[in-house]
Amino acid sequence: MTLFRRLSRRMAPVLLASSVAIAPAALTSTVFAPSAFAQEKQDKEASLLAILAGDSAPAEKALACKQLAVHGSEASASALAKLLADPQLASWARIALEAIPGSAIDEALRKAAEPLEGDLLVGTLNSIGVRRDAGAVDLLAGHLAKAKAAPDAAAAAAVALGRIGNDDASKALRAALMAAEAPAAARSAIAEGCVLVAEQRLAGKKAVEAATLYDEVRQAEVPLPRRLEATRGAILARLAAGPDAETRQSAAMALLVEQLRSPETARFRLGLQVVREIQNASIAELLAAELERASGDRAPLVLLALADQAGPVALRAVRQAAESGKKELRVAALRSLGQVGDATCLDSLVANAADADAAVASAARSALVEISDPKVNDALVARLAKADAKSYPVLIEAIGERRIDAGPTLVAALDHPNAAVRAAALTALGNTVTPAKLPLLVAAAVKPKRAEDEPIALRALQTACVRMPDREACATTLAEAMDAGNVNTKVALLPVIAAVGGTRALAAVNAAAKSSDDKLQDASTRLLGEWSTIDAAPVLLDLSKSAPGEKYRTRALRGYIRIARQFVMPEPQRLEMCQQILAATSAKAERGMVLEILKRYPSVGTLQLASRLSDSADLKEDGRAAVVAIAQKLGTAGPQVLEALNKAGMEKAKVEIVKAQYGAGSSWKDVTAILRKQAGDSRLIILEGGVSNAGLGGDPAPGQVKQLKVQYRVNGKDAEASFAENSLVLLPQPK
Amino acid sequence: MPPKSSLMDRRRFLGAAAAGAAASAAFAAPTIVPSSALGRDGAVPPSERVVVGGIGIGNRGTYDLGCFLEQKDVQFVAVCDVKQSRRTAVKKIADQHHGNQDCQTYRDFRELLDRSDIDAVLIATGPNWHGAAAMYAAKAGKDMYCEKPCTKNIAQSLILKETMRRTGRVFQAGTQRRNLPHFAFACELARTGKLGKLTKVYAHPAGMQAMTSGWLPLETEPPKDVVDWNLYLGPAAWRPFNPKLLDGFNFEKGGGLVGGGVLEWGSHCVDLCQWAVNDCLPPVEYNPPVNGELVARYENGVQLIYREKGWIPLGSCPVRFEGENGWIETGDSGKFVLSSPELLAGRSVAEIGGYPATYHVRDFLDCVKSRRQPKGNADAACNAHIACHAANIALYLNRQVKFDNATNTFPGDEPANRLLGEALREPWRL
Repeated sequence: MTLFRRLSRRMAPVLLASSVAIAPAALTSTVFAPSAFAQEKQDKEASLLAILAGDSAPAEKALACKQLAVHGSEASASALAKLLADPQLASWARIALEAIPGSAIDEALRKAAEPLEGDLLVGTLNSIGVRRDAGAVDLLAGHLAKAKAAPDAAAAAAVALGRIGNDDASKALRAALMAAEAPAAARSAIAEGCVLVAEQRLAGKKAVEAATLYDEVRQAEVPLPRRLEATRGAILARLAAGPDAETRQSAAMALLVEQLRSPETARFRLGLQVVREIQNASIAELLAAELERASGDRAPLVLLALADQAGPVALRAVRQAAESGKKELRVAALRSLGQVGDATCLDSLVANAADADAAVASAARSALVEISDPKVNDALVARLAKADAKSYPVLIEAIGERRIDAGPTLVAALDHPNAAVRAAALTALGNTVTPAKLPLLVAAAVKPKRAEDEPIALRALQTACVRMPDREACATTLAEAMDAGNVNTKVALLPVIAAVGGTRALAAVNAAAKSSDDKLQDASTRLLGEWSTIDAAPVLLDLSKSAPGEKYRTRALRGYIRIARQFVMPEPQRLEMCQQILAATSAKAERGMVLEILKRYPSVGTLQLASRLSDSADLKEDGRAAVVAIAQKLGTAGPQVLEALNKAGMEKAKVEIVKAQYGAGSSWKDVTAILRKQAGDSRLIILEGGVSNAGLGGDPAPGQVKQLKVQYRVNGKDAEASFAENSLVLLPQPK
Repeated sequence: MPPKSSLMDRRRFLGAAAAGAAASAAFAAPTIVPSSALGRDGAVPPSERVVVGGIGIGNRGTYDLGCFLEQKDVQFVAVCDVKQSRRTAVKKIADQHHGNQDCQTYRDFRELLDRSDIDAVLIATGPNWHGAAAMYAAKAGKDMYCEKPCTKNIAQSLILKETMRRTGRVFQAGTQRRNLPHFAFACELARTGKLGKLTKVYAHPAGMQAMTSGWLPLETEPPKDVVDWNLYLGPAAWRPFNPKLLDGFNFEKGGGLVGGGVLEWGSHCVDLCQWAVNDCLPPVEYNPPVNGELVARYENGVQLIYREKGWIPLGSCPVRFEGENGWIETGDSGKFVLSSPELLAGRSVAEIGGYPATYHVRDFLDCVKSRRQPKGNADAACNAHIACHAANIALYLNRQVKFDNATNTFPGDEPANRLLGEALREPWRL
């Protein structure tokens, strides 16, 4: 069995079970059983080479090349290399030639390249580059020298030399770069080759040599992207360890400054990018100096690069920009203080967070939340005691956002005359309150001193409750508050306790659903219908029978159906739930929902239940459709599947098989007679052995993934379909 | 003597670059204040505009394009597609949006890349072209938002990373979930130790099936101006024209013999798992699937589990992160489930379902200007894609494979090493 088939069976039975389109995957059959890899490799290679040598169709030869990438050895070199002159097969041959190790392959590629021209030559040179064949330098250098006559081949040779990267390759590339004779396209590739060599030198700790190469490229007449790459490399190479470090580093900084001051956007951007690749204390000083002279558009970008450096120099410059820059720069600086700032920035940030300008205020508030200095939390709380009317809400909000445990201070703020302050304090408490202090928030929510605070208090309470470590204890606190409160209090607290979840919460919501108050019944059944854990199922089932009022019984049942449809559970449990739904209702809508569940989780069990449902008059059609859908997903025609399909009463139809073929690629076998023999008065055709070699009289394409393609007629209407191996032959109803 | 200096290694560079933007809030307002917010009547000065072109704009690309056009600082000036109908349709959208006729159309993306006025490109071709087009764009000096899967094999993933680094480009993979609050929150819990010592991260590959494309019989080939079959094939091995292969989405998705496998969804959900493990190097060991679970192991022992079933119904692309003290599971519904509500710690996490790409596009545009690294940067994409490709190789070989992140090979495992890369059709190269 091929691997693809095994994978298909294991991983994608649904997708391959049936299809009306012919999958364009003729070459999937190239996949082999892995266990055969070592044992059969030699024989396999011989059979593949026989295909290449024979009169097989190009498609089969292409396929053989692809297989040789896995099974071939140096013995395949000659046969594959011959194909490099074939426009249709050269690319396939190179797949194998790039994959197979060994010097014989290198030699074959070199030899094959000699007579080639145009794209075929380019492809072969590309493969030589991928293989980094040091023995090909002379060949490649020869093509470099012919750049005027054949610029594309010269370009391929240049990049190949860059990948090889030895001294001879470097010499050839540098000579070509200096010669300035090549057309523009080739010159770009020559520069690329030089940069590739330079990258190897830099990685190999030969920074001086790398810098020389980069310099030659950046000063050459080559396209701007090549010069930019070389400039980046020239800066980094000078910063690498090596002799004359001081001189080279000074030169690197000068080159970097040149980029940052360049009127060309591309160079300015290069400078910003390179500074982020350098770990050097003087970079911050350099950027701080550049920030002072940067134009309005560029200054915020330089500032961001500076902020990414962090450290005291960056902090000083960012703070200064936050206080005195233009608005765009100030906003960027204030926000960046969240990244580089410390507690000494708080005065500025608090003041700016209360600024009338929304962009300025937002940036400062964001920084107050993000600033990471551990001294900040205490400093914020300390400031609260002497805060004025403008800064007080800012501080409260920051304390809340930072989740600083400042309980007494926040509780005191709940009595503040300013509604915004009270709201900020409530929100902050929601974020920070400890379990012991939770009743404070409960009281604020159920007995607010001012009505306008109630919704905010409820939100804060919910925020606090869902993060309580002991949710059962939290739910108990809430349940007690509900018990002590009136209906409105209960209704208000129901979403909170539902968000907490757990056993106690479920019981409290269940009790509300069973109360005599319509508001409570309404709110609680809605919440139960959205419950996020499976333990709500028995509660919902019970309510579907016992809730006061048909409306809420139906709602509860639908909540139960939702759990059966969406939650992860063992198959028997889901089937049991479906049975319970059917026992609880005779309504067509809910029973139809059961069919949807059954279709969603195909198994023999769901198939049989769907079959049973198709017995009922009102669900006959839907039930039959479900049976067919499940059977198709199951993909086999076992006795239980057949029984269900038969029981579903597959409509009798006049089925004629026009033509049937079984096979793959260019190997197909006519199986019309076999299908005609089995076709009856149903669209379901039972093949003994299924869609397989056994069921269809042999293997027309050994080692390949096959299909059954059928042209047929149902009640006079023509159609065609294809079926994967081991699938159920259920002919789709023609449209 | 100047202060001692050294080159910052890539991981530290990316970490430092992302620090400001990431912080704790997934949705901090853009650091660069758009001029529209500064009372300039919504006008964006030319210096703040990002000039964008599109390469391969079909269904997904049109959605992405909409996300770009929502941004006031985007000027979309050019579209390239091998299909004439798409070129025309996209030009209409762009011209209507900008109120002009300026969007130029191209059949060959190299002509679009030659334009010096274009800063960035949106690449939404189809997986066959994503990686190669991205590298051509980088060499042309363009930044890029590149749809996923971004590469076809491990070799491409590594070259992508190195090309972006060498050319100094801003690369954003189309892994938009990195800029959605629930996924960001989940990954933050995992990364910052809130779940305790991390033990397992789960991804949903949604169908571990091979999907290589074949050689179908020749059908009548349309004129090049209508459909340029040669450019459509691009780096894929040659085969005759057949319209069944023209869907782009499934054509040569994984390349090689390994096929699509876990790549289609893995490039999202495995990518999120990589984020949860702090974008470390990919797992070093991959096992063939057992009962629908393919288990990989990171160097530090954390398991990456590609799991088909057993997910809480939270929408497509679910992920789950487990530590010694807790777990979180989330998906495309925007909702998440925690082992304990305490993990929320007073946070309010915005619920954004439907995995919009708007925030991801905004992140990209900000980084084009600032030169910070976006969330779906090339290093992150490379690691996540390698984790998918290596898993596919374990699937294909149906045995354990061990990957060495130092040499980027499977040491002593020639069959696996032969699957590291695949030749590109002439004349294309990376």
